[in-house]
Parts: sequence; C-alpha cells; structure tokens
Amino acid sequence: MSADNDQQAREQLIDLAAQFYDQFELGEIPHMSVPTRTKNNIEYDEDKDVWVYGDRESTRSANSVRGARKLLKAVYTIEFLADQLEEDRSSTLRELYYLSESWDNEEAQFSDQDESNGLIEDLEIVSGVTREDFHMRPEESGATLMGPLHLREQTRRGEREIHCQKDVGEGGYQIPNNPDTIDFLDCDADFILAVETGGMRDRLVENGFDDEYNALLVHLKGQPARATRRITKRLHDELDLPVTVFTDGDPWSYRIYGSVAYGSIKSAHLSEYLATPEAQFIGIQPADIVEYDLPTDPLSDSDINALESELEDPRFQTDYWEEQIELQLDLGKKSEQQALASHGLDFVTETYLPERLTEMGVF
Amino acid sequence: MTSFQSTLGDEPGIAEELAESQQSISIAEFFEKNKHMLGFDSGARGLVTAVKEAVDNALDAAEEAGILPDIYVEIQEAGDYYRLIVEDNGPGLTKDSLPKVFGKLLYGSRFHAREQSRGQQGIGISAAVLYSQLTSGKPAKITSRTQGSSEAQYFELIVDTDANEPEISVEETTTWDRPHGTRIELEMEANMRARGQLHDYIKHTAVVNPHARLELREPQEHFKFERATDQLPEETEEIRPHPHGVELGTVMKMLAATDSQTVSGFVQEEFTRVGKKTADSIIDAFRDRHYGREMRWRPPTAHDDVDLAAAVEDATANKGPEATTAFADAIADAVADEDRIAHHELLEAVESAAEAVEAEHGTTFGDTVRENAVEAVWLALIDAAGADDDVVGEDGDSRLVADLYDLADDATSTRKDDETIHAFADRLAGKFEDLEDDRHRLTRATLREFVDRAADLTEEYDEVSFGETARENVVEAVWDVMATVPDEPPLVRELNGDRDATSDLVDAMRATDIMAPPTRCLSPISEDLITAGLEKEFDADFYASATRDAGVSGGDPFIVEAGIAYGGELPAEGTAEVMRFANRVPLVYQRGACATTDVVKTIGWRNYGLNQPGGSGLPNGPVVIMIHVASTNVPFTSESKDAIANVPEIEDEIELAIREAARELKSYLNKRRSMQKRRKKQNVLGKILPEMATKVAEVTGREEPDIDDAIARIMNNVLVERQTKANGDGQAISVVVENNSSTNESLEITDIVSAEPTNLSDSATVVEMDGEWFVKWEPEVGSDDEATLEYEVPDDATFDLDVKGVESEKLTVKQ
Repeated sequence: MSADNDQQAREQLIDLAAQFYDQFELGEIPHMSVPTRTKNNIEYDEDKDVWVYGDRESTRSANSVRGARKLLKAVYTIEFLADQLEEDRSSTLRELYYLSESWDNEEAQFSDQDESNGLIEDLEIVSGVTREDFHMRPEESGATLMGPLHLREQTRRGEREIHCQKDVGEGGYQIPNNPDTIDFLDCDADFILAVETGGMRDRLVENGFDDEYNALLVHLKGQPARATRRITKRLHDELDLPVTVFTDGDPWSYRIYGSVAYGSIKSAHLSEYLATPEAQFIGIQPADIVEYDLPTDPLSDSDINALESELEDPRFQTDYWEEQIELQLDLGKKSEQQALASHGLDFVTETYLPERLTEMGVF
Repeated sequence: MTSFQSTLGDEPGIAEELAESQQSISIAEFFEKNKHMLGFDSGARGLVTAVKEAVDNALDAAEEAGILPDIYVEIQEAGDYYRLIVEDNGPGLTKDSLPKVFGKLLYGSRFHAREQSRGQQGIGISAAVLYSQLTSGKPAKITSRTQGSSEAQYFELIVDTDANEPEISVEETTTWDRPHGTRIELEMEANMRARGQLHDYIKHTAVVNPHARLELREPQEHFKFERATDQLPEETEEIRPHPHGVELGTVMKMLAATDSQTVSGFVQEEFTRVGKKTADSIIDAFRDRHYGREMRWRPPTAHDDVDLAAAVEDATANKGPEATTAFADAIADAVADEDRIAHHELLEAVESAAEAVEAEHGTTFGDTVRENAVEAVWLALIDAAGADDDVVGEDGDSRLVADLYDLADDATSTRKDDETIHAFADRLAGKFEDLEDDRHRLTRATLREFVDRAADLTEEYDEVSFGETARENVVEAVWDVMATVPDEPPLVRELNGDRDATSDLVDAMRATDIMAPPTRCLSPISEDLITAGLEKEFDADFYASATRDAGVSGGDPFIVEAGIAYGGELPAEGTAEVMRFANRVPLVYQRGACATTDVVKTIGWRNYGLNQPGGSGLPNGPVVIMIHVASTNVPFTSESKDAIANVPEIEDEIELAIREAARELKSYLNKRRSMQKRRKKQNVLGKILPEMATKVAEVTGREEPDIDDAIARIMNNVLVERQTKANGDGQAISVVVENNSSTNESLEITDIVSAEPTNLSDSATVVEMDGEWFVKWEPEVGSDDEATLEYEVPDDATFDLDVKGVESEKLTVKQ
C-alpha cells in the first residue's frame, strides 16, 4: 500500500494507453491481446506448481464496432483508475459499473457488470498489476478466520494487533480486502481447515474444534474471494501450515477446492499469488458417502454435466480425482457437509474429521 | 326430334323447310355478335383495344419499311362519342389494299408467315372499324400517303358485315403534310374509365420499343415518349415450318403442292432444319412405322445342333460338290459372324456368298438357287424346317423361345420367376411362328399386340401379374434388337392421298431428333435495349436484363427476355409491377390468367433479396419486372390476346430468364447491403475512434494522434494520400495508394495542379488546359499493396485530387 506501489501501478496503466497512442500514430489498428480465459487455455506450470494461462490469446481490436467500443471503454477505465490511484481512493467493481454512467461518452458506458469485471481482469493481465493495486475491491469483503493466530493489520485508522481467537467474537476475524497489509506475529495453529459453509464453520466453532486441535478455521463462503485465497496462501507459505479443505460432496464444491489449490480459470494470471497447490481435500468425498452411510440427494443433470466437464478439466486430471468423480457418477448421488449430522451433532468433530485428518497425515 | 320423326310422313317438306333457314355466317357477323372475343366488351376496354390495334399496326408497318416509327395518338371528346385518331409515318397503303386492310376481317399478310410480328390474324384494326361503326354508326376515316406520291388517298368506309367486305362511301385524293404514313380516325361509344390501362399500354409500348417515338394526347393529359435508340429491331425472316410443329392436314396439303419427287427431297425442301442426314433419320423412322421392322434372331451356336451348311447343301442341287460346299460354308460363316440376323440381312449374306463363290469356282448360282438357300437357312434359323420335333433345343423348346426368354428375362424385374418368363416367351414365340409373313416383319404396334396377348395368356393361365411396365420393357427390348428394313419409301405422288402413310410420315418426323428452328424469324429486343427502355421510362437505381436462347414449342421458335428495375423513384410500397409483352406488344388485361404472372408468383423472391410475404406470390418493394415472349406464334389464351397460355416449354424459359436477371439484382442488393453495413460501421467507428484518440491523448498527456491511416485500415479501405516534401526550390510530391481491401482495385486518379509538374512517374500522363495541369494516373493496386505516383512542382503550386473507380464508401482521400 505504499505510494511507490501506487505510482508504479499508475505508470503501468498509462503505458497501456500510450501503447494505443503509438498504434494510432503508426497507422496500425489499435489492439490489445489477452490470454484466452477458458479451461482449454490453462496449463500446468511445473516450476511454480500452479495452473497458468496457455499461449492462446484473444485480441480486442478496433477492427470491429464491438472491438472499438471495448477499447474505448478500456481507455476510459484506464483514465478512471489512474485518477483514482493519484487521489489514493478506492472503489468496488460495482461502483465502477455505475460510475461509467456518469462518463460523458455513452459509447464508453458499460452495459452490464460482467463487462466491467471482464475489462478489469483484462487490464490486470495486460498491465501485470493486480486489481487490489488498482484499488478495486469486490463488493463482499473477504471471509473470516478463527484460530490461534496473532497478527497486525495496517488499517486506514492505524495499526491494529489482533488475536484471532481471543480478540474476536464468535464471528471471527474479518479478512481485509488486501491481506498483504497483514503481518503475522505469532501462531499456535497446527494446520488450516478451510470450510465451505457457514453452518459447518459455526458447528466447528461451537464444538471448540479450533481450540481442541489447534486448527485455524478459514470460512470460504462458497467460492472463496481472492483475499481468502491470498491469506491462505500466505499462511501456508510463511507459517508453514498444512492446508486442508472441507466442503460439500458435489461437483461445485470440488471446484471450490480447485480454486484454493490450483487457482481459478478467471484468475489464472494470479495463480502464483493466490493458489496453494499443497492444499488437501478432506471431503465430503464420494467414498465417504459409502463409508459413513450418509444421507444423499440424487445427482441432477447439471451435476452430471459438471462432473463430466471436471473430468476434462486439466486441474482435476489426477488419479485421485478421476477415481472419486467416476465413483460419484456411478453412485449418482451427492451429500452435503451437514449430512454428517445424521450421526449426531458431535460426529463431525469427534469422528469424521479426526479420522480423515489422520488418514491424510495431518496429525 | 322424335316429334319431327313421327310427323315425317305427314309433312314431307319439313327438312327442306329447316334447311331454308340455315345459311352461312360471315366472319364479320360472327364477331359483331362476339365483340368480347376481340377485346371490345365494354366502352372503356373498347377504346384501349382500338388504340392497341392501331398502334400495333402502325409499328409493324413502319418497321417493315425500315422506318423509325413516329406515332401520334389522339383521343377527343365528340359529343356523346369519343374520337380516336392514330397517325403513323409508315410506308402508307396503296389504293387497292387500303380498304381491305381496314374493312375486311381476316385480311392480312401475316397469318401464313412464320415470322415474328405484332399482329397475326388480320382481325385487329378491322375489328376496331367494325366496333366503331356498330356503336357510333359512323364510317372510319382513313388517309394514307405512300412514299414518293404527291397526294394522299382519303377513304371513308365501313365493314359490310354480311359479305365481310369493305363498303366505301367516300374515296378521294387529298393533301397531307406527312410525306408518307397512314392516319385513321374512328368515332365510337367509349369512356375513359380505363385511362390507367391506356397509359400503361402506351408507356409499356415505349419501354419495349425504344426505337419508336410515341405521343398520346387525350382530353386531360399529353405524353411524349422520345426514342432511346436509333437502332431498328433486326429484320426478321420468314422460315419454313419445323417438322415438329406441323399437323397431318398441313403435311397432306404440302405433299399435294410440292415439286419434290422423293420423300427425302420433300422433307429437305419444305421444312426447316432438315438436311440429308436428318432426312435419312426421318425415313428410317418412317420405315419402322410404315413397313415395320424385321426380327433378328440369334444364329445357332455349336451345341444348338443346327447345321446351316448342311441345310444349304441339301437345298442346292447340281452345282458340283466343291462349289456347293464353298457356298454353304460361306453362308454359314457369314451368319455365324452376326450377333443376330434378320431376313433381309440373310438375303444380303447369301447374295454376297453366291457372288464370291461364282467368282472363285466359275459356277453360276442363279436366283432360284439363292432363294432356296435363303429359305433353307431362314427356316433353320427360326426352327421351322422340316417336321415339328426334328430340330428342337435341349429342353424341347424352339430356338425362338430361348431367344425371347433371354430378352424378356433381361427386360423384366428379377422378381418374376423363370417359369413365368418361360411361359411368356413360349407364347410370344408362338405369335411369331403364326405370322403369315415368315420374314418376321412387324410394326411396333403389332409387336405390342403380340406381347399383350402373350402376357394376357400368361396372366390367365399362370395366375401371375404381368404389368404395364413389364410389357413395355419387353416391347422395348425386342424392338431394339429388330432391324429397320431397307425398303425404298414410297414416292411423293404415291404418298399423296394416302392418309395412313402420310400419318406414318408425320409420326416419323415428330419422333426424329431435329435441331431447333432458326431464330432469324425472331426479333428479340436484346439485353441492352431492354435496359435502355427501362431506364427511359423508370427512374430506378438498378437495371438488369436477360435474353434467353431460342426454344421451340409446337414447331414455333420462341425467345424469352426479362428485365428488372429496382429502387430509385419506384414506389417502395405495395407489390412489384409486372409488365408483360408478346412480340413487343404490351399485354394490359387478364394479368391473373397469364403464364408470365404465374411464373413470377412461383419464384422464391426472398432468395433474390426481395420481400415476398408468405414466400410466394408477387414480391413487394420498388421493383418492376418485365417479361417479353417473342415467337412466330405466341400461344394466347384467347383471340383478344391478353394473356399467354400456360405452355410448359415457354413457362420454363420465362422462369430461367427472370432468374437470370434476378441473380444480377441479388448481387446488386447484396453489395448494397454490405455497403450499407460498411457505412454504418464507418459511422460508428468514425465516432468512437476519434473519441478514443482524444482520450488516449488526454491520459498520456500528448497531442492528439493522427488516426486516418488506422481508420482506412480498419475499413479495409483504399487510402489515397498526398505527401509533400520540400526539394530545393520546389516540392516533391508523392501520391500513395494503399489498398487495404481484400480485392484488387483499379483507380482513376486525376491530380489537378496549378503549375507544370516535372519528373513525372512513367505510368502517368499530363495534359494542360487553361493553365491547369491534369495529371492522370490509372494504377492497378493489389490487395494489401501500394502504388506511388511521384512528380515535382514549384513551391506555390496548389492541388486537387479526384479519385474514381472505387466506391466512395471504400475510399479515404487525404490531401
């Protein structure tokens, strides 16, 4: 959050505009190339152990009316971001979308928020600057954290030292939008347990799981925000904590694990910065459905499609996942985390998690 | 009638009495009562028809004399009546022929001619005279001056309907200011309710007769249609009838009249497109019909146990053993060489064998010996030699059965079992054996009877079906192997009066493939003149035309032409206007009954980029579709000649002609659409890119960039740019053409310079005019390529670039 950093980000953006300028001057058609953001264009980076974009590029070119509009919007957005950095302000993605309504040029206004979100992603990739460094926030802030961790956060109102068990309420510590403003002071946790649903997180807190097992509970809140993934990555890298992920037993939840461990398709350019390839999947595994005789729901058509598309997703092409996904397709069933309650409210903390974590070698 | 019958005895005079009241009716009287058949069914229509007949006549007359037509039509109100005046600059009519042309129905020069002309029957103008005298009681007033004569003839006449002859009331000489021509004045009961049709008729006439000048003056309006060309339509030539288009009666008349002796000479002399080869084909076809063909049987094979040589030797007596053997062997070998052999072919083989052996052995083989040999071999071939069970095939059948079995088996479907085919072949062979003429000569009709009979018996006794297709196939197969006989066809005088033989000849002519009739008897308008005519009368954006090659229908050649005009000032609302023409005459009435309209409606106009509600019917939009059918005999649905009949050959050609023109329309519309799209894109980008450039300049804090080159690239445009460089006292100029499009472009560039240019590139030329220098340069620039024009001028020169050859939407000029 240094002024230097801001200045650098701003220069990168202006360089991008200068690139368009030079293209005009050379009589070239203004254009901008970005990697294609589809699952067909992500590949495994062996050095960094994460999934990154491949060589396929999409070109946004002023050759067509659509392309020209896109570039015009890009230039307007660049101006806005540069101004924002200069004034040390920040805004949310949604604010950017509404803000475009105030631009003098109707052609430059966004027609929906997907368009403005996509454009910000384009600019991140092309300029090599992250959204956070543009001072762009998502609407919902990061999720929460609970466990034996003592940290210091730089806030706009000064530094705060917080213990994530003792200084917080039942809700836990709120992960800030840019977790790089945090310094870790002291940590007694043995591992990180990232939990998909709020209900399960509350169950673990109520049962005192964090206390009993020295676990750092990270609430993913569905698809984890970048801040959540970033802090997980930092906790793993800097404090050497093993990361485990506990979700529902359905294809959508496997993707949540995937984005923690391997990075998401839309932010593959940031995988190195967000993904924790060492993260392990606890469950619910399709195998658990059989082993623990869990109550189930049948797979819907879209579940089956999602599973089949995961079989083709390069991120899931491991023996473990192929076996689990094929087993689930055979079973034709899925289970939620809460289904464990069919064996009693303490079953998850007293039986399931200890058994799975031992199996996985976490303790 | 029974009542008459019963009283016949009492009143013997009844038949005579009835006969008294029966009399012949003159054609004039007939049409007097049936005016509608000629298009005079109402006052409104009568006037249009009268104008039409008079103008058609006038155009024909002028064109025939090689004069560019100049026609004046005037309609005046005359008390309760209307007065119609039509003047032309034709060659005029002689004193003798004039009254008949106007005062006698069915008098004309064209009815018998196979040549394209507007009028055909010689009814039209005299019918107008008749109509005028019937409704107003006044005679027609006709003035005519022939070329070179100092005075004009003036007649007043009516049609004597009883006699169908002109009745002249006034005949005098007069003066007339036209050097030659004809003027007719008719008074008739009429009204102007059909003004629309009248105007259409005149306007449409002007479209298809771009060489004619027309003027129409009616009580309320006055139109003039000037010439678009000085080129007269090509003169047409009369042609002889085409063999495919004549009827039996006509041929009988022609046979009686011809000077030719032989049929071959007759068909070559009297018909078009018949030469020696075609005549031979016709005669062969005639022989097949008149004499029939002879069946050709397979010669015996080795295992057939038929010894032809032995048969010949048996039949030949007293010729010495060596010569006899040679004769017999020669015949047997000749027969064995053939796949199949007919009686007359055998005859020839025996003749040549006899002559060969005569030459070698010096023995004479007389007619009797030859006949005996032929008979012996033929009977052996058709298994009729000696006692019935002497010579039979392996399975006890005659050779004919085996032969016919193979033919029938090949010709019928595989589903029929062998038994059936065999039974059928056996019966068919029986029919051949029963033939009185043991040469096995029969016509196709007789063959068909045989097959039918054999098939019927087979159906009856073997309880299987032997259908129409199977029978026809068998007839076809057998007829195919049969041979045309060499008999001489009868001479013309023998044919003359022989109805049946003549009928065979007509059939033969129809069955022979003959080249389509020549088209010099037709005078199509031509594609260029159709376009010129449309351009003259319709202010449109686009014109297309198509002239098809000639086709034939019923022996009459015909040509179909089509034209399309689109856009411009044509009304965008409502359906397309369809203009119909036959032999350059506009068809005004009965649009719905016309083959042309039917065809236009069946075409899927959406494929050609026009709006067509429901996908059929007339298209909507600013379109004029014109169709011209030229023929020596246009098939009309009625005598009033308002609609072309639905003749398939003509309809097909109409469709092809329209589609040909419509394809051009389609590519025009596509191009226009893509230009529109390009314009739209250019408009949007023309707004966005400068804004983007401004923003980029703002963000980067630089001057606004120059974006013309980028825009030219984006639009795939052709960019013409002048670059100026100081060069000593003067400046060096280069004009650069950059082609960003995907096609080659040919440009015509003119740079108008105020001072004399020097060191000009080789490819350019310069012309001085009034102190300005026109630098002309016509480069061809390939896709993604560049070309440069260079020259030098003094410092103070000014320039003006003018670029042609590229659509303005695709062009960016910077100077």
